[in-house]
Order: sequence, then structure tokens, then C-alpha cells
Amino acid sequence: MSSYKKIPLSDRKRLHEKKIRKHDLANILTHWFNVGMWALLLPTGIAIISSPRLGISPEWLQEFFRNSFGGTDNLIKFHYTMGLIWTIVLTWNVLLGFRKYFLPFAAHRMWLDKDDIKWLMVKPLQMIGLKKGQPLPPQDEYNAGQKLYMYVVILGTAGIMLSGIVMTFRTIFPVWMKQWAQPLHWVSVGAIVAGLAVHVYMGAFFPEEKESFFSMFTGEVSAWFARAHHEKWYWRKVEQEMEWEEKVRKESEVI
Amino acid sequence: MPQKNHYGFVIDVSRCIDCRACLVSCSVENAVPMNHTRIWVHDLGLQGEFPDLRRTFTPYNCMHCDNPPCIQVCTSGATYKDKETGVVLVNQEACIGCGFCVEACPYDARYLDEKRGVVDKCNACDQRLVIGQKPACVTTCLGGARMFGDLNDPNSEAAIALKNTNSILQRLDIEYEKGTYTRPNIYYINSDENLNARLEPHQPQYTLAEQSWRKFFLPAVLVGVGATVLGQAIMFTKQLLQGESEFEDR
Repeated sequence: MSSYKKIPLSDRKRLHEKKIRKHDLANILTHWFNVGMWALLLPTGIAIISSPRLGISPEWLQEFFRNSFGGTDNLIKFHYTMGLIWTIVLTWNVLLGFRKYFLPFAAHRMWLDKDDIKWLMVKPLQMIGLKKGQPLPPQDEYNAGQKLYMYVVILGTAGIMLSGIVMTFRTIFPVWMKQWAQPLHWVSVGAIVAGLAVHVYMGAFFPEEKESFFSMFTGEVSAWFARAHHEKWYWRKVEQEMEWEEKVRKESEVI
Repeated sequence: MPQKNHYGFVIDVSRCIDCRACLVSCSVENAVPMNHTRIWVHDLGLQGEFPDLRRTFTPYNCMHCDNPPCIQVCTSGATYKDKETGVVLVNQEACIGCGFCVEACPYDARYLDEKRGVVDKCNACDQRLVIGQKPACVTTCLGGARMFGDLNDPNSEAAIALKNTNSILQRLDIEYEKGTYTRPNIYYINSDENLNARLEPHQPQYTLAEQSWRKFFLPAVLVGVGATVLGQAIMFTKQLLQGESEFEDR
């Protein structure tokens, strides 16, 4: 169980000063590219869905976007052009970084372990004010909630991209695929957006997670934050640092 | 839907001889693929007993309804009712050819052009209307069965024909939702047949994908997004009320 509350003050201060790298530059750039693209694609996508039977977007929103882009067809062209750029860049990044980034990431940070299951049984209750005193099991680089959302994002992104491609290349795909691509696109976006509310709040506003927000700019978090929130990851980092120190020491002895 | 003009067709059934010149001129004018047509002439068959026989031909195309069910299902707004003319149009640049509207049309007046991946239908020769000409089918009609014009303009050919006829006016109107009728803008005159019974417009059909979206995926996403947004709003409000300390998390 997490024991950071017993750490003496002097160690706490030292840990606050020390920085640990959480995100590579590639991850940071991909994240903010994704944010920018979502900011363009989500509103234009909502404005396109104008079926009165679905009643999703209000008339004024449709009018605003149609007028801003100079018509329904231009709005749709903008949406799928940006969507294709988003798809190509993200796919390229994943393919290019598959060995260096994705495989190590998948090997260590994606799967749920026993501690994660326990965390999932306690944390939601704590969020609604129950079991406040119960300590949380130690977490890895991403906690169980983040891991669950990661699954939603990976599946949702694949769903958005595939259904978007079907709708964009209208002459290639059969009619039944174009019919089902629409609700699939909607539900994939919806699943990500539902989690996005939690992601943005936790990342940008929640006091305890403040460091994770700034880490998306600097790439770093304090060792204290890592120790308190991602204990397993912290100890692995310490281990890696000790191995590195040992290696350097041996090399200097040889010289 | 308010519109400047109210264009419609008036069809004198007694004058149609099934020559189908209208089909040819429509296809030529609008480059309709050979295996499709935007307009039809329905043969209602022989009626009566020999020697007192008669045969009725009914020119037919998109009804340019006042309340078109096709617009209700179009996801992207590619199908719309023109605010100037009241004609129902398809913006093929915005259409992906999913066919929701094809199923929803009670008159089967639309078809899927799979080669171009779009839906196509009668547009009342919109390209001719804007330069003050009548649709190709109307100008080609040898017997003068097809008439077209602004029904709000008392001097239009269509309005005059409606005013002068002594026959019953027939519209293939159907109620597709409680209190909502399609209100088609083709008026048939001089027909002895009950055209609504013979041509049988059907209730709009909704595809499984469209129905699943509307009945299941739409509410599921709204509830999911609503719940998380509300949850975070409560957390944020609580946070604002409690205030923050620089050392809170240390």
C-alpha cells in the first residue's frame, strides 16, 4: 500500500526538487496535435449532423458553421480533409514509433494488474465520498483509471478513423458500410468525449494532478509526484537510475 | 417551411399517352445514367369490360413535398428544401450515398447512383429554373400532360390549370407521423382512378443503422457524456468552494 505520507519532511523537499521524465517530445507533440485536431473536428462534426429526426445539433449551430465555411459541402470537405490529415499523421506516428515507443509502452504500462483491480474497487467509492480512509494500492506510470480510458481512446480512435474513411471515400465502400459507419463514428466520438470530461478536469484543474498538466508541456514531473501517485513506476525509475550509476562507475574504473 | 415561391407540378392524367418523351429529355438534360431514371410513367393497366375499355398512364416523379420524410433522415443536410423555390434538392457534393433517404421516401422517387456514390432524384431541372425555363419533361410533353409553375402565382401555367379544372384534385398525401402529412406538390387532375389507392405510397422505411443510432447510440452517448460532464462539474464546484492550498498535495 502507498506509504508516501510517512516520508520525512527533508526527503519530501528533496523529492520535490528532483525531476523525472514522464513524456518524450514525440508524445508531447502528438498529444497537442491531437488536441488541435479535436478542437477543429468536434464542432464541425457536430454541426454537420443536421438530421431533424436525430435532433443532435441545433439549427443556429448548423447555420453558423455553414455560413462560416460557405456552405454544407465546404464544411464537410473541411471536416474530412482535417480528418484525413489527423488519420495520416497519427497512423504515421504510431508506425514510425512502433518499436521505440509503442512496444515498450504496451509491455509495461497498458495492462491491468491486481493492484489496478483493487484501485478500481476503491477509487470510484472515494470519489463519491465513501471509504476516504482506505489507502490506495500503488500504481504504475498510469493508474487504472487512465489505463481504462486509454483502451477507450485506442478503440474509439480506430473506430473514428475507419468509419471516417468509409464515409469520405463514398464510391469505394458498399452502402451498408456507409450506413453503419455513421452511428459507429458517433459512438466512437461519444465514448472518447465522455472520458474527455474526466481527462481534462483531472489533467488541468484537479489540484492533486496539477503536475500532470504541466508535464504535457515540460515532459517532467517531480519525483514526489511520481512517488505519491505512481509508486511502482517511481521505484522502477530509481532502479534504472541506480543501474545507470553502476554502469558509469564501472566504466570510469576501467578508464 | 417558409419559402419565397411554391413550385409544383400539375399533371393532367387524361392527356398522357405513355410516349415517354419526358423520360428521355430528363435523362439527357440531367445526364442520368442509362440504368436509372429520375421520372416514371406508371401504367395502371386496362380498366373496364370490352368494348368499354380504358387505360390510364400516370406521370410520376419526386413530389417535392412540403414535409419531406427524406430530409428528416439526411445526416449531412445534403437533401434540403430550396428556400427560393420550395423544390427538394440533393447537394451531391455533401451526399455520401448512404441511402437513408432512399428508404424513407414514401414514393420511391430516389435512387442510389453507386458509381458516383450519391443519391439522385428529380430536381425539377433547377438549373433551368434559375434561368427562367421550365423543367425538360414539361417542355417535351407532347400531350401537355405535365405542367409546372409557381402555385402562388395566379398567372402560372400550373395555377391556371388547377383553377380551370372541373375534376377532383388528387395528391398522393400520406400521414407519416401523428399529424404530419407529406403534402406533395404534384396535383393530378382529370383522373377517374383513385390514384392514392392504385399507386400506394408507403410509410417511410428507416434502415436498421438509422434506427439503432436514433434509439440506442444517440441516448447512450448523451447519457454517458452528460453523466461525466455533470460529475466533473460537481467536483469542480466542490473544489472551488473548498479552495486550494499551495501545500495541499505535499
